[in-house]
Amino acid sequence: MKDILLQVAQVLTVLLLSPLLHGFIVKMEEKVQRGQGPSILQPYRDLWKLFHKTQLVPETATWVFFAAPVVAFVAMMIVPMLIPVLTNFPLPLSDMGDILGGGLILTLGSFFILLAGLDTGQPFGGLGSSRAVMLGILAEPTLILVFVGITFLDHSMLPFVANHLLAQNPVAYWSPAHIFLIFAFLILLTVETDRLPIHSTIPYEIYMIDEARILEYSGPLLALLKWASWMKQFILYTIFLNVFLFPWGLSMSGDLGSVLLALLIILAKYGAVGLFMVMVDTVQSRLRFYRYQEPLALSFLFAVLAIVADQL
Amino acid sequence: MLIFHLGPLASSLFSLLAILALVLSFVMLGSHWLKNHVYAFSAESWVIAAISASIGYYGHYPELYLIAALSALFRGTLLPYLVLRLVKRLNINREFTPLLKPSSSMLLGAALVIFSYEVARRLGIALNLADNIAVLALTCMFSLKLIGFLMMILRSEAISHILGLLVIENGIFLGSQIIVPGMPALLELVIIFDLVTIVMAFGMLVRYLQSHAGTTSSRGLQKLVG
Repeated sequence: MKDILLQVAQVLTVLLLSPLLHGFIVKMEEKVQRGQGPSILQPYRDLWKLFHKTQLVPETATWVFFAAPVVAFVAMMIVPMLIPVLTNFPLPLSDMGDILGGGLILTLGSFFILLAGLDTGQPFGGLGSSRAVMLGILAEPTLILVFVGITFLDHSMLPFVANHLLAQNPVAYWSPAHIFLIFAFLILLTVETDRLPIHSTIPYEIYMIDEARILEYSGPLLALLKWASWMKQFILYTIFLNVFLFPWGLSMSGDLGSVLLALLIILAKYGAVGLFMVMVDTVQSRLRFYRYQEPLALSFLFAVLAIVADQL
Repeated sequence: MLIFHLGPLASSLFSLLAILALVLSFVMLGSHWLKNHVYAFSAESWVIAAISASIGYYGHYPELYLIAALSALFRGTLLPYLVLRLVKRLNINREFTPLLKPSSSMLLGAALVIFSYEVARRLGIALNLADNIAVLALTCMFSLKLIGFLMMILRSEAISHILGLLVIENGIFLGSQIIVPGMPALLELVIIFDLVTIVMAFGMLVRYLQSHAGTTSSRGLQKLVG
């Protein structure tokens, strides 16, 4: 019974804290640029507002237009069951998919948003979708290689095993294989969460990548899409932190106190990585679109080196 | 072949340092600014000096401390200084005529790493190398050499050719440090001084090219100059 409640709590954590993370990053970005910035709670207000608006649908839209936000949202709610968000031990449904399965479900969500961008036949949606596909083609092999690399390291496909191994074994933690996997995943994180140098802060359709796919949406469906993209960011941070970079600080027993403590630690460490991303966003200049292959080639290289180093 | 046994943390340290040297050679492969090449080469030499020193510490080879200090001084400081002076004198900031884009050359480098891993693994099986560190050192050695060759092939500036040669040399030095740590100190000293001579000679050659042919790019030299 307690395990089931914990599993529900994991999903709720991702669901409820992801807008907070996004709000924090936006606020800090503005602060760094000497602006005031919106409140940290602004994403919640945005969601509230969008859910109370009228739903407008383009005439050319088909069922894909309605299905995409729901599929993306549900996919982002399935993944937190598979990965260690609050507890470092597997929960009842955690073994229904491994780390590769989680990656595939994340990709399914992005795939449906891509289809939705193409569905209405508007030029900007198509533009955004084609750009996102190109980035996806470049990023996907690295994602698979990173997962394969962590599998070689701990001889298991379950993220919980990797978490245990890295938390308890300093030799594995400081091995070159693991350190290169961290670097490779960090570059992937900037790509998948649409940060600089991949994305532009200018809110203008020509420069958009991920945002351009959802320009046709309004009202509750837009709210679902935005929420799904924030959840995706939160989930990727979770995999990066709780599996790769900082496997400590999760609840070991599953008691209420330790879960609350784990929640506090989560707030602290996600905030730290968020600040790092703000730094990347501010320091890096935006690359031309056809130079995106360079950071991605670097990330691929790190993943290959990690696997080679791991075989030794 | 690697006589002494290493603890797990020490072997983790060794593999980290060896792979760090490999990554720095990829920095040289991926960047087109000559200054970055020189800095990366300098950092790589310092890493190799650190490997020598730590092998001296764990394997009790006191003469390796001397080698480490000398290689940090010569490879890590003097050679980069000379090459940087050359870069400044020639007024060449970046390689303008690469055959491949940085990302493609990095991918080619990754393929070479996998190839050299395969070679090193077979060698390890054939020679019955018990310790994985030896295989790792062989991998890093072969890949550094191949990446040096790649740099010499893909780039056309004379300075890139020097740096490619130095990377190959660094690779040999790294491998020999780990695999045959007790290699006579005299031999190592000779190699280090050889390198200084090579860079000096290259510097003179490059200046001669610049003053007589007006270019230091090997692609420019294919045309006849009257």
